[in-house]
Amino acid sequence: MDGILQAQHIIKYYGNKNNITKALRGISFDVNAGEYVGIMGASGSGKTTLLNCISTIDTVTSGRIFIGGKDITTLKQNELSKFRRDELGFIFQDFNLLDTLTAYENIALALTIQKINPTEIDCKVKEVAEILGVTDVLSKYPTQISGGEKQRVASARAIITNPSLVLADEPTGALDSKSARILLVNFQKLVSEINATILMVTHDAYAASYCNRILFIKDGEIFNELFKGDNTRKEFFNRIIEVVSLLGGDDHDVI
Amino acid sequence: MSFNLAIRNVKKSYRDYAIYFLTITFGVCIFYVFNSIESQQSMMALSENEAIALKQLNRIMGGVSVFISVIFGFLILYANRFLLKRRKKELGIYMTLGMERRDISKILTMETILVGILSLFTGLILGILLSQGLAVVTAKLFMAKLTTFSFIFSFSALMKATIYFGIAFGLVTVFNACTIGRHKLIDLIYAEHKNEKFKSPHLVLSVCLFILSVACLVIAYWMILKYGFSRSDRFWISISLGCVGTFLFFFSLSGFFLKLISQSKRIYLKNLNMFVLRQINSKINTTYVSLTLVCLMLFVTICAFSSGIGTANAITQELDDKLPYDASYSIEIRDQKSSEHTQDFDIHLIAGFEEQGVNFERFAKQYVEVKYYDPKVTFHLMYEGEDFDYMPWAIRLSDYNALMDMQGKPALTLDDDEVIINSNLAVIEEMEESLKSEIAHHSEILINDRTYQTDLQSLQQNQLRMTGFSLITLIVPDTAIDGMLITSNDLNINYIAETELYEEIAMAAFINADFTKVIEDTGEDGFSISYETKIKAFEGSRISSALVAYLSIYIGIVFLIIAAAVLAITQLSEASDNAHRYGLLRKIGTDQKMIHKALFTQIFVYFGVPLFLAIVHSVIGIFVANDLVKELGRLDMGKDSIITAVIIFVVYGSYFIATYLGSKNIVNRKMI
Repeated sequence: MDGILQAQHIIKYYGNKNNITKALRGISFDVNAGEYVGIMGASGSGKTTLLNCISTIDTVTSGRIFIGGKDITTLKQNELSKFRRDELGFIFQDFNLLDTLTAYENIALALTIQKINPTEIDCKVKEVAEILGVTDVLSKYPTQISGGEKQRVASARAIITNPSLVLADEPTGALDSKSARILLVNFQKLVSEINATILMVTHDAYAASYCNRILFIKDGEIFNELFKGDNTRKEFFNRIIEVVSLLGGDDHDVI
Repeated sequence: MSFNLAIRNVKKSYRDYAIYFLTITFGVCIFYVFNSIESQQSMMALSENEAIALKQLNRIMGGVSVFISVIFGFLILYANRFLLKRRKKELGIYMTLGMERRDISKILTMETILVGILSLFTGLILGILLSQGLAVVTAKLFMAKLTTFSFIFSFSALMKATIYFGIAFGLVTVFNACTIGRHKLIDLIYAEHKNEKFKSPHLVLSVCLFILSVACLVIAYWMILKYGFSRSDRFWISISLGCVGTFLFFFSLSGFFLKLISQSKRIYLKNLNMFVLRQINSKINTTYVSLTLVCLMLFVTICAFSSGIGTANAITQELDDKLPYDASYSIEIRDQKSSEHTQDFDIHLIAGFEEQGVNFERFAKQYVEVKYYDPKVTFHLMYEGEDFDYMPWAIRLSDYNALMDMQGKPALTLDDDEVIINSNLAVIEEMEESLKSEIAHHSEILINDRTYQTDLQSLQQNQLRMTGFSLITLIVPDTAIDGMLITSNDLNINYIAETELYEEIAMAAFINADFTKVIEDTGEDGFSISYETKIKAFEGSRISSALVAYLSIYIGIVFLIIAAAVLAITQLSEASDNAHRYGLLRKIGTDQKMIHKALFTQIFVYFGVPLFLAIVHSVIGIFVANDLVKELGRLDMGKDSIITAVIIFVVYGSYFIATYLGSKNIVNRKMI
């Protein structure tokens, strides 16, 4: 399998000389194409910082991150936005859809900023909407559709550009359990059907149980790693719970 | 404690306050400059009349200033409302921390006073500096020499600016206190979210309204072009339609274009077009009122600048032609009906003056007495689409030639049965045309039962009189006058040299000579005595052109600043509301250039569209106004339009750039 993402000893310190917060203390891992990887950890463990560094929204203090063979820590500001545009897809906890645009336009936006020929956009949007089951709401505005639908529209926007890596930051965080399940099933579908690579940050063991692999982070370091292997989702879920209880602190979030 | 907090707040949000501060500073500056005109006379040599006129000018400016300050008051309130809106959350946090409403009001009051004092102070200093420069302009308008350079300072203007703007700030304070008192804590804390209520646009409605608005505007234009100012009812209908049309135009414009452009996926889905269009459309609900006002204010500005400056120039330019002599004295019979009296009425001005001891040789190089008669001829002319009868006067050929001699123009000759028409109608095209067609159709004129010939080729266009209007004058053979009634007896004088000295001697002579009694002795009533001198007329016209020029520049600049400021404030507050949208664009990888381009386009549209519509309005308006001004004198619109364009470009343009840079700052600051 091809390595999509290689993180090599990432360190991220905040603050100044007198007051240093060590958010990431040397994290290394690889993600291969077509993998669905979850990152779990308690609040303050550094998982969001890690995601920000990978998504090039934040810079690392030291270490290297390769995405699709390219070292993103050496990219310049302009190259970064181009890189984000072409290689990454984002799914946020609070959807981050533009309320002024219809669902259709929100999805199309990702293509228009790539300056894709407008004539190609229409069928691509419809194709992706079909996969994520949001065809019916395409002409509606974000305020007129449910949270689950919003997140699936956001997912459609994230994958329509065929990014090397989709980064999802607590995508189920603002959803009810039914919508969350539909979304997670859809993520699995994206992985199996169009070979998308998803890196999902969550502290919800249920959401994590849909992944192929889980990385546990504690105090800025990788604490444990779980592979789903041949387990059923239930078995995988139980194994996750065990690790979470070992991690401590965060188990009140576990369903 | 609250004072420190206030200072810190102002420092912290200086970006937000920048436009507010600039606008008030400009306002105070302009206000001071135009109220300090009177004090400028220390710098120049003015005649007594001009000094009085300057005082008068100052008084009129003072009156207008009340109106201006009310407008500025509204602007300050408007700007303040936006500032407050952006800070509701901050105020909410103060409240959750247990601060009392009273204390919060106190902080806001102090901030207002702080910014107020700062801008008042800066504005006054700028105003004082600028008023030195304006003195040069005033001197030029009055054609007075700058005597000594002295530092001009007007205490009364300073006090006025302080008091008027002080009242405005007082109102802001009260308004702020009310806002704080009225709002619930929860509304303040969640104010940000409350702003973002989004209504889905009714695009079909927009398209219909847009068509309606264009229809309104077209009808308004058509009406005003057809009827001009002549029919006041039509005029007001046209103005109202124009306002309604403008309002609907801004209400529906973005929806219309959204609908139109979204039809073509090729354009709509190109780059950020879709985003920008939606962006503009989403805010139209809150901005169409201000856009309408901005457009109308720009319209006033453009009209005030171009026709105001133009009128001022026209007044002075054309004066030379209208004043053919250095001085003129006339006795005019106003009441033509008392004809039995006028029958024998005859008076000799020169002899009369000499009898009263006036020695013309002391001041006059040339002096000619001429008489005008009523030939009982009627011309049918057209004015503003309506017929009217004009009864011209007649003058003897010899008198006419004497006047031409004074003006240094060639003399005419006449056949016994020939009449030449002299017309001063050139300024009123319509009347001129109707006169010409009248002559072309009836080349025979019947005077005293005798037929005379005239033709178009011989038509003269000389200014004969200085004391009154005589639009059409018939030049008739000397003998034709017999039996006609006198309408006016004019004495025209050219001084030995055109100086104040001779003017004074002549004026003294005219004032001392009492012709009223002489005429009354003849048993005549219904007459009017008037005299006019070139120097006096120039003075008067300079005063009125200065007045027109100052008024139009004053009002024009104020409206321009207000229009630009309103737009800038709206856009800046929008930029901070929209920062998260632009932030999202950046997150999903839109490059900086595209984001800046989108922001630029958005602000450009907001600044450009009202200006565009205002220019269209103004072209029509100036076209109509031109007809009016033409009656005063020729108008050189080309030059004035360039001046107008430059002023608008500089002021409006700098507000535009400031707004773009400010918005870019806000958007970039909040991006990650």
